Amino acid sequence: MGAISLIARRDYFAYIGAWGFWASLLLAPLILAALTVGPLFLSRTEPPRLLAILAERPSDAALAAQAFADDARDRFWRDISSYLDTAAPSQKQATLAAFDAAPDRRAAIAAARAVIERRAPQALSNFPAPSPRYLVVPAPSSNISDLRGYLDGQRTLPDGRALYGAINIRRTATGPAIEYWSANLSHQEPLAIVREAVRTAMRREVLAQHGVDRAESDRLDALEPQTQQFDPRPSAPQGRITLRQRAPFYAAILLSFILWSVVFSTANMLLNGVIEEKSNKILDTLLTSVTPLELLVGKLLGVAAVSATLFLVWGALGGVLLNAAALRMGDSMLGQVAAGFLDPRLLAAFLIGFVAGYLIYGAIFLAFGALCESIQEAQTALGVATLIMALPMMLIAPALDNPNAPLIEAASWVPLFTPFMLLMRAPAGLGWAEIVGMGALMFGFAALVLWLASRVFHAGVVDQMSLARRKT
Amino acid sequence: MDTALEAEGLTKRFGACSAVEDLSFEVKRGEIYGVLGPNGAGKSSTMRMLVGVLHPSAGRVTINGAHLTREVLRGVGYLPEERGLYRNMSARSAIAYLARLKGLPSRKAHKRADELLTAQGLGKVRRRKIKTYSKGMAQKVQVLAAVAHEPDIIILDEPFAGLDPVNQRGLEDLIRAQAAAGRTVLFSTHVMEHAERLCDRILLINGGRKAFEGSVSEALALAPSVAMLETDGDFDLAAALAARGFNIVADGQEHGSHRWHARLENGVGSRQLLSACVEVAAPLSLFEPARASLHEAFVALVGGDAARKAVE
Repeated sequence: MGAISLIARRDYFAYIGAWGFWASLLLAPLILAALTVGPLFLSRTEPPRLLAILAERPSDAALAAQAFADDARDRFWRDISSYLDTAAPSQKQATLAAFDAAPDRRAAIAAARAVIERRAPQALSNFPAPSPRYLVVPAPSSNISDLRGYLDGQRTLPDGRALYGAINIRRTATGPAIEYWSANLSHQEPLAIVREAVRTAMRREVLAQHGVDRAESDRLDALEPQTQQFDPRPSAPQGRITLRQRAPFYAAILLSFILWSVVFSTANMLLNGVIEEKSNKILDTLLTSVTPLELLVGKLLGVAAVSATLFLVWGALGGVLLNAAALRMGDSMLGQVAAGFLDPRLLAAFLIGFVAGYLIYGAIFLAFGALCESIQEAQTALGVATLIMALPMMLIAPALDNPNAPLIEAASWVPLFTPFMLLMRAPAGLGWAEIVGMGALMFGFAALVLWLASRVFHAGVVDQMSLARRKT
Repeated sequence: MDTALEAEGLTKRFGACSAVEDLSFEVKRGEIYGVLGPNGAGKSSTMRMLVGVLHPSAGRVTINGAHLTREVLRGVGYLPEERGLYRNMSARSAIAYLARLKGLPSRKAHKRADELLTAQGLGKVRRRKIKTYSKGMAQKVQVLAAVAHEPDIIILDEPFAGLDPVNQRGLEDLIRAQAAAGRTVLFSTHVMEHAERLCDRILLINGGRKAFEGSVSEALALAPSVAMLETDGDFDLAAALAARGFNIVADGQEHGSHRWHARLENGVGSRQLLSACVEVAAPLSLFEPARASLHEAFVALVGGDAARKAVE
């Protein structure tokens, strides 16, 4: 044990002494936060997209313009609702009622803000200041052909701004035809907004012809059955499924990807570590003092300690944030998703899956490293190892669709897949006995792989067998 | 003098290729023992088997009469042929780390590293990372790491390779000092001069097999000796001694004197050559017998081709 501990400690301090470790430790949470908040922040800071509306009938143009105004109001409503969930949940009902009662967007925002100012002034500093996603501007030309120069960036509007898109509503013998022109080919939301508004208007028109007034038409349009999903298992006494019950499944997917990337990157560290040691030509010296198995276990534990250090810091940070979110944001979407991550079965599955998965894949990568003479050779071998590691990822989508499907159940007892399948199945009613059983299977398999890896390691390092050639 | 290390019938095969074949030898306690042979003779495979890094296909190694176990190997210091250290470690930490793997407590290992580095003139740079060291300095550190835990037996595989003459001399002094302290030193080399200067006994191997084992003087006795001669006038020494079985070759002429080179083989010594010269009344102005070198003994034992490979 003394030699193993010495090897593990040396490797541990060698890794944490490298600048890359500290970069990972500090930057990973920042990058994760940036990836989470960044798109939202970017979408909010993006200036409104300018749209021009052309229509043969003025009523169609007014309809489209109103659709964009309604869309902007709906977005503000959602922003304010999310803000109230976290900043002033007790004022949510009154504030949204004031918003709904106002005649237009500006008045609605002012009314909502006034409620907060009066009832929860401490929360006012975070009151959202959204800008509309789309802004309808006067068309610089009444002919769609003339607008093409504005839309492809050759010309700008009189105030210097760029025109993002144009809606052209024509009238044909069968009814209205909507054209959407924009250089951004992958984005069709403006067309969908106008299409829904025109469709509603067409429906109202037809229903009016049959003597149904607008209010009745809107009522008919709003008809919707109540739907509820229930969980029949004894572990769900209330039965009813809400986001709180579904959140662990979403958390499992995210944790699976985190598990995969951490196991893959730490196993990669081991592979590179062995090759570096081979190129440093120190293995012969070490092997007069330790056995290949001790060396292998020491290296595994050293890198495991590096990962544990990262997880301790990230886990503590994430745990505090998730716990705070789960406690403070209660029934909000964020609060329920945060609570999903804190599911004990999921956390146990993640912990067992990480330790066993790391041992299994780490030993495999170590064996690959022992058979490689250079980084180039390792990269070739890594292709095979990556394919092996990609297999469980291919099962994640079917596991989400049905975590208890026969294929997924069977795959969860194949040790190479178990760490990931255990995680995916944990929220789907996996019993503690099964979790413990899979854990035992993985640790048993890890011990076998370790023993085999030590044989390969011995053959590769001591007898100088190589993937590329065999020396004498 | 009792036996410190013994190899019996050591054999190592890699597939169809035999690196070492039925090699037996023993190293006495406290002696400096050299393993000599040309490149590819099986020296490194033998050394690796001696320290348990390579498992023999047949045969066995005993140290102080015991088989190679962890405890037994703790008493052995080893410098492999392919050597290296953790480049980001300081020399002090590297020596202490390897000594601790051999069982030395941390405090003692660091103290020993400090002492050794200071004694070798590296005291002031002992906390610098090895990657900042020259190749000679790094190699010195590795040799120190092999002896830091004060082993009874020190096994060095080609320790002089890559060292400049000054560092080679320093290493020779270190080996002598270790032997003077009662330790057994076994080293391999293909440079005969080191063995000639240092070794009490040597093992010559060629093609994985033992060619000779014995003292340096015994090896030298097997080598043909030579003598340089000069005669006045036009006396033909080669012709005069040819009938008596001597192989004399003309080596030039200067100021009316002829120089001759005599190669003495089959146990014939310089005394007999001198007697023959007197008998044929050779007008000798110079008779200079030369001592055979270990290289010549090596050539005589393993043949010219193998000797050339050794020099290469």
